[in-house]
Amino acid sequence: MDEWVVHQRIKIPFMYTAGRALTRFLEGLARGEIWATRCASCGRVYLPPLNFCGRCWRGIDRWCQLPPLGELISYTIIQRPLPEHPDRSPLILGLIRLDGADTNLVHLIGDVDPSEVERVTRVRAVWRDERPASILAISHFAPLT
Amino acid sequence: MPRRVAIISTGQTKHRAKRRDVNVRELITEAVTRALEEADIRMKDIDAVVIGNMEPFEGFLFPELWAVEGWGGYLKPSVKFNTGGTVGTTTAIAAYYYVASGIYDVVLAIGFEKQSEGHTQTAITTVGDPIWERAIMAGAVGNFAVMASTYIHDSGVTEEQAAKVAVKARRNACNNEYAHLQMPDITVEDVLKSRMLAYPVKLLDMCPQSDGACAVVFAEESRAKQLAPRPAWIKAVATAHEQQYMGDSPKRLAAMRSQVAASRRAYAYAGITNPRKELDVAEIYEVASFAELAMYENLGFCERGEGGKLIDAGVTEMTGELPVNPSGGVLSTNPIGATALIRVAEAALQVMGKAGKRQIDGVRTALATGYGGNAWTDVMILSRDL
Amino acid sequence: MTKKDDETQRVQYLLDIEYHYAAGELATRFFTELKEAGRIMGMRCSGCHRVYLPPRPVCGICYKELKDWVPLSDEGIIVGCTVVHLPFIDPMTGEQRPVPYGFAIIRLDGASTSIYHFVDETDEKKLRVGQRVKAVFREPRTGSLHHDIKYFRLVGK
Repeated sequence: MDEWVVHQRIKIPFMYTAGRALTRFLEGLARGEIWATRCASCGRVYLPPLNFCGRCWRGIDRWCQLPPLGELISYTIIQRPLPEHPDRSPLILGLIRLDGADTNLVHLIGDVDPSEVERVTRVRAVWRDERPASILAISHFAPLT
Repeated sequence: MPRRVAIISTGQTKHRAKRRDVNVRELITEAVTRALEEADIRMKDIDAVVIGNMEPFEGFLFPELWAVEGWGGYLKPSVKFNTGGTVGTTTAIAAYYYVASGIYDVVLAIGFEKQSEGHTQTAITTVGDPIWERAIMAGAVGNFAVMASTYIHDSGVTEEQAAKVAVKARRNACNNEYAHLQMPDITVEDVLKSRMLAYPVKLLDMCPQSDGACAVVFAEESRAKQLAPRPAWIKAVATAHEQQYMGDSPKRLAAMRSQVAASRRAYAYAGITNPRKELDVAEIYEVASFAELAMYENLGFCERGEGGKLIDAGVTEMTGELPVNPSGGVLSTNPIGATALIRVAEAALQVMGKAGKRQIDGVRTALATGYGGNAWTDVMILSRDL
Repeated sequence: MTKKDDETQRVQYLLDIEYHYAAGELATRFFTELKEAGRIMGMRCSGCHRVYLPPRPVCGICYKELKDWVPLSDEGIIVGCTVVHLPFIDPMTGEQRPVPYGFAIIRLDGASTSIYHFVDETDEKKLRVGQRVKAVFREPRTGSLHHDIKYFRLVGK
């Protein structure tokens, strides 16, 4: 007797509410600006911004604009992109610490061959022409030359 | 011997249909901050955190991980639970176990849900077994409707009697500043005329879907006495499960075996022989109007088949012998991951004398229950007396 | 994206997950019987004599291993019933399930437990607890509870 294996799928629509701090961040991105917050107690600069420092357990209301420049902390090369990714060619995902931030952003690394990315230390944000209120307002980060 | 444990403070968000002003993390922080302020303690005073939520209602896995620093989890001992509708009482019972065991002195329990972010009936249908139930199951509403039909058949309870429960809940909710559905002018007629969802369950017979969070602080005896003028002591906790499939119990709501078993076990621990006389207030996880009537019977507030008569006699109204859900209950507020913890918080507020406009005079003993799939029941009994 | 003043940005997305579910040894036997013989089988507990549908390895009440298969009738009674009017998205398809539809807990003759199924009746006045129903099969059978049994129809008065 064959074993019965059922092939199924679930599909459920959802939505995510960004909250106040992330909304200000996302709306800044639509204008080509990168906004972070700074905890007055521990001095930590959060990017993406938070309006509450869980470590100090206090609210944060200090905003600071960061430059679209930073350090490539780490990266990985995705040889077989998932269906969600923009195209089929290998992707480079980078962990980026923007200048002045204490936390890291994950974004695509572009304008560089995967075989060359090892040498990249500094990166800059490359903005899209049409910028949505989304992290995709930044197309990718490119090596700073 | 377990140590003595009390609830020393609670915190809730303003529950609403849609909290579009905050994300999950900010919502949780709101409730936790209130609970800490209430006890006049700091996050550093919390030894461990237990957090509960019913994913996939937000549509992504581990929503609490996205929020760790918003609930005080950073570098603290913490654990997350998802036991369905019961998750709030599961976290409360876990917090009790943590403190009673002597491992931690002060433990924070949290429950949260942003139901506005997903499709509840759809997500809850995935609870059904993939080959036996899922293709047929009709969300929570359809489930309650079939169970209610059995209860109506067995007990002769009427749609009017159920509607009285729905009215009581939404009117009581007007005294609760955190409640979602506050309807001072609602009538039995309104409930009976409301839109049919799944016969016999109409829109106003059913709980809403809410966004909200709740936090409750548990402490061992010496800390509790030091931090709260009148702590709510935990006298009993009990939990019981049903069999696995929806159709296994002949009367899943009308004679819920798990609720009968868990409540009798808790009454025995607490030395309660006549719950209707010895309990001063109950905060039960009623979900739908018909369910509350069946639960009166399951919890021993009355004999089998007498649930309808109990509401007719006004026994469970604010002014009655045993008020049930002065907060407005689940029928008024239902952020699922927080819902059962809100029952515990509201029962504790009654015992602590901090329930404001919904306070019942002279509460010494209070009952809180949790309910979830598949007829999982949790029970907690709180007392003013150590 | 539009929003009111007190609202914040929201992002819409779809959780879409494919998976394989191994029905297991007992369900495999059940569905093989259903597909090949059009027969609905339950399992009897040697301790309490309950007859379980769906089949399972152990009686949850006696903790005895279940070994005895027994054929069940394709007729039974309604234990609980409703007509669903509330439209909702069916997670199995991502589409709205057509409403109204009859939905019941049905105990087949010979079984001690019940299953969920559709009932071919959307007038709630004609549906009641205790009413007899009979399975209506769909051909060709594929070995699926909700495909092979199209729905249950009311029998008698």
